[in-house]
Amino acid sequence: MSKNEAISEAINIPAMPSLELISALEQTLYKESRFLDSESYDKWVEMLADDVHYYMPGIQTRYRRDKTDQVHDLTRMAYYNDGLADLKKRLARLETGTAWSEDPATRYTHLITNIEVELTDNPNEHKVYSNYLAYRNRNERDQDTLLGNREDIWRATSNGFQLVKRLIILKQNILLSKNLNVYL
Amino acid sequence: MGIDRFTGKPSYGEYMDLNEGWVDRRIFSDDHIYEQELYQIFARSWLFVAHESQIPNPGDFVTTYMGEDGVIVCRQKDNSVKVFLNSCPHRGNRVCFADAGNTRRFVCNYHGWAFDGAGELQGMHEEYCYDPGDIDKSKNGLKQVANVDSYKGLIFATFDEEAPTLEAWLGDFRWYLDMLLDNEEGGTEFIGGCISSEIGANWKFGVENFIGDAYHAGWTHDSGTRAMNDGQPFPPVDMENSYHASVNGHGWEFGLEGVGDIFLLGRPKVMEYYNDIRPKMAERLGKMRSQIFGSVASASIFPNVSFLPGVSTFRQWHPKGPWKFALQTWVIVNKNMPDDIKEEITKGVMQTFGPGGAFEMDDGENWENCTSVNRGVVTRHERLHYRCGIDRRVENHPILPGIVYQGQYNDANQRNFYQHWRDMMEAETVKGVPARYESRFNGRQTLNFSGLDKL
Repeated sequence: MSKNEAISEAINIPAMPSLELISALEQTLYKESRFLDSESYDKWVEMLADDVHYYMPGIQTRYRRDKTDQVHDLTRMAYYNDGLADLKKRLARLETGTAWSEDPATRYTHLITNIEVELTDNPNEHKVYSNYLAYRNRNERDQDTLLGNREDIWRATSNGFQLVKRLIILKQNILLSKNLNVYL
Repeated sequence: MGIDRFTGKPSYGEYMDLNEGWVDRRIFSDDHIYEQELYQIFARSWLFVAHESQIPNPGDFVTTYMGEDGVIVCRQKDNSVKVFLNSCPHRGNRVCFADAGNTRRFVCNYHGWAFDGAGELQGMHEEYCYDPGDIDKSKNGLKQVANVDSYKGLIFATFDEEAPTLEAWLGDFRWYLDMLLDNEEGGTEFIGGCISSEIGANWKFGVENFIGDAYHAGWTHDSGTRAMNDGQPFPPVDMENSYHASVNGHGWEFGLEGVGDIFLLGRPKVMEYYNDIRPKMAERLGKMRSQIFGSVASASIFPNVSFLPGVSTFRQWHPKGPWKFALQTWVIVNKNMPDDIKEEITKGVMQTFGPGGAFEMDDGENWENCTSVNRGVVTRHERLHYRCGIDRRVENHPILPGIVYQGQYNDANQRNFYQHWRDMMEAETVKGVPARYESRFNGRQTLNFSGLDKL
């Protein structure tokens, strides 16, 4: 029995991820946000699994009693409901050289916090919760701050961890900016 | 704001000359003009408030805005729809805070005044405090709009008792609207949900972009078009076989090639689907409309609804002061489409015309800067150029109704939009708005309009 398994058993909680695993996934999330901040999208795409599902539902304000599933119902409207090919299409816009509104470049910073790692039934896939704060500043004084939570599945591969699933919840039900030229 | 110095009546002649083809930028930035827009346009027009499919069952509601007036749109037990202010007549608090839902009553958080789904006051917390004669509950319901009506799934409401019928308001524009709303048996529906965003631009920039500005697409959206279609640029525009058509301030610009807007979605399965139903569409709508549908096209319904037939984005620009609007977007599909086609369209729309879409991203940026530059007092007094295609009017087109111009790179629909805007701003009553075009078609019948379209 490893030290971790012993701790898990002693305090009666599900198997705990090792500190090494937690640290490796934290580093992965930080690296990912560094790639996004620097618009290193080629490197970002390498971190995405071929079967990635990148999903950010559109959420309306509803009463508590309203049981409409606004988060997991994939037939509803979403900011992103993308596979790898879809994301590559979006990113291809920046490669054309004619995305006028991206020049001068947007200045991005992602802060990633509250990272929590959970083991799953698949020993190679790990659930990772995190919070994000994405700040954008453009041109003179154009700025937005986007805040919310993410729920990821990361898969261990020979090339490091790859993102298999990401659910992004934005806390603005009305997006308080003109567009979403940022990946979260 | 515009007041004629001799008559004292509203006059907007100093802000535009549409025969010359210019518009003064103050209409995009002046607080007083904006305030007048709320009275003269938004409080007197028929405004889109919901699609029937958003509220299928009794008690279903959505909340929205008519101008800056918040309203509740609620399905009744008899299947009719009522629209009333989302504001308690007691102290004015909002009575509903959800964007959508189902309810039997709306209860004000402040003093517990409770209204049924028709907006009638049913009772209140500690009702005993009112003595006989203090309150007539039948007269203290939520303020109803003057009229509600629908056209092929789109529900409209107006605050103005004197507004013409909805058919007259839409007029011959219905001939065009049918291409979106009635191109297949069963009509249309909205996909669940709604994406809302706020853009720091004047609401008219959104409307005029969709009403006629095909011209921006090949330049602004070069990157988006190439991204969605493996590097292929925007399809070439055929200036002979493309048009602007305007009716009562509404407008539709379009080609006749049938595929351009569908192509923008970047979804081959959707293209296949429309190609399959096109012969039936031709039987239903006539050959010409079946060729228009799906072509490079965009449209707006006066004053603040726009859509792209073929792409299937449907949107409303809610004014929030001269410097800002709230944009609501939906996906509109044919009810009888198979689920996988609906899914493809929904994904395609969000990849192109959602806030993170390859096209939408560039539009907001343009409109914000078209607006914000007018903080400069010198800039604000400069005229904007709207003369493109001013001599390309086609009189009495044998098939196409409306005020028709040839060549979809054109400012014609925009000029006609601002003409109608000016007419509304100047008219004492909505009945006084001059007709700039005589309707060919009357009444509710629109599908087989006079057989003209059977060519």
